[in-house]
Amino acid sequence: MSVVVDSLAFRYPAAGAGLDGVSLDVVPGEFCAVIGPSGCGKSTLLKLIAGFLSPAAGQIRIAGTDMTGVPTRLRNLGIVFQNYALFPHMTALENVAYPLKLRGVGRAERLRRAGQALERTRLSGLADRHPRQLSGGQQQRVALARALVFAPGALLLDEPLSALDAAHRAAMRDEIRAVQREHGIATLHVTHDQEEALSIADKVAVMRDGALLQLASPQELYDRPADRFVAGFVGHANLFDGTVRGPDLVETAIGPLACATGGQPAGTSVTLLARPEAVRTDPPDDAVNRFAGTLVRDRFLGSLRRYDLAVPGGTILGETLSRADIRSVQIPPECLRILPA
Amino acid sequence: MSGSPILRLLLAVPGLALLILFFLLPLGAVAWQALAGDAIQRVFAQGDLLAALGNSLLLGLEAGLASVVLGVAVALHLARLPPGRRALLQVVIALPLTFSGLIVAYGFILLLGRAGFATLLLAELGADPAAIAAFLYDRPGLVLAYSYFLTPRVILTLLPVFANFDHRQTEAAESMGASRLRALIDILAPQVAPTVLASFALVTAVAFGAYGTALALVGTQINILPLRLYSLIADAGADFPLAAALSVLLLAVCSFLMAVAEIAAARSEADHHVRT
Repeated sequence: MSVVVDSLAFRYPAAGAGLDGVSLDVVPGEFCAVIGPSGCGKSTLLKLIAGFLSPAAGQIRIAGTDMTGVPTRLRNLGIVFQNYALFPHMTALENVAYPLKLRGVGRAERLRRAGQALERTRLSGLADRHPRQLSGGQQQRVALARALVFAPGALLLDEPLSALDAAHRAAMRDEIRAVQREHGIATLHVTHDQEEALSIADKVAVMRDGALLQLASPQELYDRPADRFVAGFVGHANLFDGTVRGPDLVETAIGPLACATGGQPAGTSVTLLARPEAVRTDPPDDAVNRFAGTLVRDRFLGSLRRYDLAVPGGTILGETLSRADIRSVQIPPECLRILPA
Repeated sequence: MSGSPILRLLLAVPGLALLILFFLLPLGAVAWQALAGDAIQRVFAQGDLLAALGNSLLLGLEAGLASVVLGVAVALHLARLPPGRRALLQVVIALPLTFSGLIVAYGFILLLGRAGFATLLLAELGADPAAIAAFLYDRPGLVLAYSYFLTPRVILTLLPVFANFDHRQTEAAESMGASRLRALIDILAPQVAPTVLASFALVTAVAFGAYGTALALVGTQINILPLRLYSLIADAGADFPLAAALSVLLLAVCSFLMAVAEIAAARSEADHHVRT
């Protein structure tokens, strides 16, 4: 089943925060991540889709059916909550069997199916444990099994990995994706972790102040961000404010930068984006967009080295594999991307 | 605190002395008086005393049940309020706890007695004042008056449990297809049941043994254990062995109820610790 959100609007009575005309769609089998800083409206979007809140305007369609006025329990959605919301008075097996109990499945049958669901998340040995006796990762798997056991139309994940430590998070990420593929279910995953979103999703929605800024594949989001906010939020970025001075030349605080300006007239204010891995170290002296400076920050991250080079008028963030001293860098013109200012 | 064992022993002496002098010795004396003679047999031979025991149990259970039903509803409501307003209302609700039973009884007489404020208002509407007063000066009136100061106890013991309940659990249940009511029954109820049971046992024990309000409200006209006990000590024909036997009986019932409460509370405690 697909999930379609059409021009959805919502406003919290007290705060000014809410949602303004958000539209997106998730088709069966697709994994869509929604990211943005706290207060951007991503959790509100999830609550609206789940039916915990009612929109002020717009429409939500699940499997083609308008969900306006339909209560949560009839929407047939599997939801994994941030804190898992497991029932502490039930065992792992009973937790997973509960949605089946609500559907009138007989005791033997529902325990059998819940057992299978736990097996799929590699928890069969822990079926008789209560949530308190399980680790965070195990609770997460129980929650996932419970959300999927009744074959819901779509899966909603509300920051499901935020309570786990970094090591488990990466592993759980792959596990969630594998289980989601297996079920071929439309999935909406809300997170504040852009790295998590890029690594897990087919497409990513970036939100800010209640609005959807861009909906695109992770690669496109990274390579062709819609604006400077998306560019800065997704991955690391050098962002230079500037003014178009002539054909393929932009004047910035660190000096003139040669790049394709796409025919923008002189005088236009623009922002230039350069990803740190595109910045080259120690270029020949006659290279274009070459900047000499001093290394002010140098972080060795194992597989790469991330550094800040202070140049007159600003700082350039770069990434390199080289371990040599860095005195100058080049930003190749083809790696500079023009964004609206 | 460290220090020599002798010093620590010395510090314990005043408390220990009080305990022995005013708790263990009187209790021992009462128990001895009750068990030494034929007092216990006399209690079981006297039909009206057994009836008093039955009436007291019934009164305790009725008042306990009324307070718990009322208390659960109010606590559920309070748990949904913002903390500031909740704290304010809690103060108001706790107020009856500080009133003496006599004041409560007097208040109810002023309200629902033969010339009570509410009675006269109702009389204007055609109700019979005598019927209202008869209601007040019998067991229903006692249930009402007891509930007045037992309900706050129930509310104050239940509120933390209700307020700390993670409502995402019921949201989760609803997302799986449960109605709001079903979610409350399947998810909330089992988790708060031990605390509610403990609270019920506690207020039932209090109502079972209470006598100040009863004495002020109905005098000794109603046949309940605490008032019978009172008569046996206060009236001209004092019968101390029989009073002692009734005391032991009262003590046994209350201890049993408190044990139920303690066991239930311990279970809920265990349930709460474990939640992550």
